[in-house]
Amino acid sequence: MQLKKTKKYLQKLRGILFLNSLNNFLTILLISTILILSLRSFNWFIFNAKWSVITTNIPLFAFGTFPSDQRWRPIIWIVSLLIISLLSIIPPKWKWFQKNLIIAWIGMIPLGIFLLYGGLGLQTVMSRNFGGLTLTILLTICSSIFALPIGIGLAFGRQSSLFVVKKLSSMYIDSMRAVPLIAVLFFGQLLIPLFLPLGIEIDRVWRAIFAFTLFVSAYIAEDIRGGLQAIPNTQLESAKSLGLNQFQIIRFILIPQSLRIALPALTNQVIGLFQNTSLMSILGLVELLGVGRSILANPKFIGQYIEVYIWLASVYWLICTIMALIAKYLEKRLKIA
Amino acid sequence: MKSYKTIFFQIIIILLFILLFGFLINNLIINLIRTDLGFNFSWLLKPASFALAEHALPYSPSDSYAWALFIGLLNSLKVIFISLFLSTILGTIIGLSRTGNNILLKIISSSYITIIRQTPLLLQLMFWYFVGFLGIKNNFIYFSNLIKINNQGIEFFGLSLTSEFSALIIGLSVFTSAFIGEVIRGGIISVPKGQWESYRSLGLTEKNGLIKVIIPQALPAIVPGLTNQYLNLAKNSTLAIAIGYSDIYAINDTIINQTGRAIECFIILLLTFLILNLFITNFMETINKLVHKKKIYIN
Repeated sequence: MQLKKTKKYLQKLRGILFLNSLNNFLTILLISTILILSLRSFNWFIFNAKWSVITTNIPLFAFGTFPSDQRWRPIIWIVSLLIISLLSIIPPKWKWFQKNLIIAWIGMIPLGIFLLYGGLGLQTVMSRNFGGLTLTILLTICSSIFALPIGIGLAFGRQSSLFVVKKLSSMYIDSMRAVPLIAVLFFGQLLIPLFLPLGIEIDRVWRAIFAFTLFVSAYIAEDIRGGLQAIPNTQLESAKSLGLNQFQIIRFILIPQSLRIALPALTNQVIGLFQNTSLMSILGLVELLGVGRSILANPKFIGQYIEVYIWLASVYWLICTIMALIAKYLEKRLKIA
Repeated sequence: MKSYKTIFFQIIIILLFILLFGFLINNLIINLIRTDLGFNFSWLLKPASFALAEHALPYSPSDSYAWALFIGLLNSLKVIFISLFLSTILGTIIGLSRTGNNILLKIISSSYITIIRQTPLLLQLMFWYFVGFLGIKNNFIYFSNLIKINNQGIEFFGLSLTSEFSALIIGLSVFTSAFIGEVIRGGIISVPKGQWESYRSLGLTEKNGLIKVIIPQALPAIVPGLTNQYLNLAKNSTLAIAIGYSDIYAINDTIINQTGRAIECFIILLLTFLILNLFITNFMETINKLVHKKKIYIN
């Protein structure tokens, strides 16, 4: 019985893999290359790679040069971020919590600033000591939370019946989308100080967050505009016939529905933003990739490119994949609701 | 009454905008005077006095900044068009193998897509450059003077490419091909299943059916996605600076370091990319029109 099943399964597999001569050739070629590659890389992984470059530098990858006795602060912040994202993915049934979820998310920014920068009883830490995954997460979270309302505003601005508002927002969106991100970040790092009055200085990290916000909000605006256009006209008509005013229509009908439609695109933007924070390593912030670069510049670890890059790639890959899976899950749940 | 209100509102917005803009420009002028730089483009004609490893047209350090920028633009265009071509081919192969029957190919192409899409491009570029080219031995691949791949770059049929250029091309093409693969898969999926069944029942061969029935219907869904990816590719090519390839952004960066003319260089960079974007969008728009015409013809 078991044998028959196996035989049937093998036949099915043969039908797929060895259907015709082209498929035969491809299958054999692929299997042999995969075998050779995996054998060689396995050999390298176990015997030749020197993983000590990673293991000795784990704190650097996680926190940068954050003072070692203060590392509990970024840990607390990251853990609370994890908890709150878990709670928003699988929401508990408490009404008060669901109502205040947005406030809790926004509250993450002041909490993070307080925990990372210190003050009010905590030892102050300069932002040049931020680094590693902590800085990457700080850049991603702050920029995406700031960019969302701006993006919504720009999307509505572009759909507005007011000529000036419409022109200004579409000009902003189109020109921002035409420019490479690195140019915007460069603007943030080098040119923003030129546009500020004398004596006012903004921290490097916040200039980066500002630049990311400017950039991402244009992309978010386009995603939300897509969501707005997908809302059926009957929704608007029924809202009007219910006697809702302009503000109420936007607040209760348009924003929730367009956000729901745009959710997959928005999570893709966050994933992209998370990856793009790596560009700051060219512009002088020591985030996750920057830590890798500075370690490779250290004579002690010279030439160990493959180990460091594989490690960094797997960290980025893991976090991005988790975000993508969450997005898929949320999409499914919102479709049912 | 209502239109009076909206006009008033718009005027207020314009005023606020001008106020903000004026404030920023005022600060800029003050800062430029303070740093003794001013705002002009006459420096463009001065000698650049930096060497470029890669130049398509004759260039020497005594040439002007403007010429250096033009060389950078040519370098950028070279990278963009070659990777555009390569990534389209690679992306098509990946997209087709994701929709095909061979399970092995499906697994490989989808893992390729997840690996490439979920890691930063900058990291990939560094990987290709530092591990892919600088990490290999002197004669990695040596094929009777025709094809040579070593840490100096690629050389085939007398055409030698530097390692920076090759790493950039490979990195950009590989990265973009994962996205193009998804676009092409989406296009093929968008063709209703009935279309496949009907060309088979009409007795068309697989090849003819694909060329005459499936592809013309998939293209209208593919072209807008492709346009987006090409635009992204053009913008992503500025990451060349990370591996030391002198594209337009890298040369702007060098000039800023030399002369401190950040504002002017930034304006040049913005204008270059706006024009480049317009060019790519228009080019793809013509292709889009062609595709739609063809679709109507077949229907």
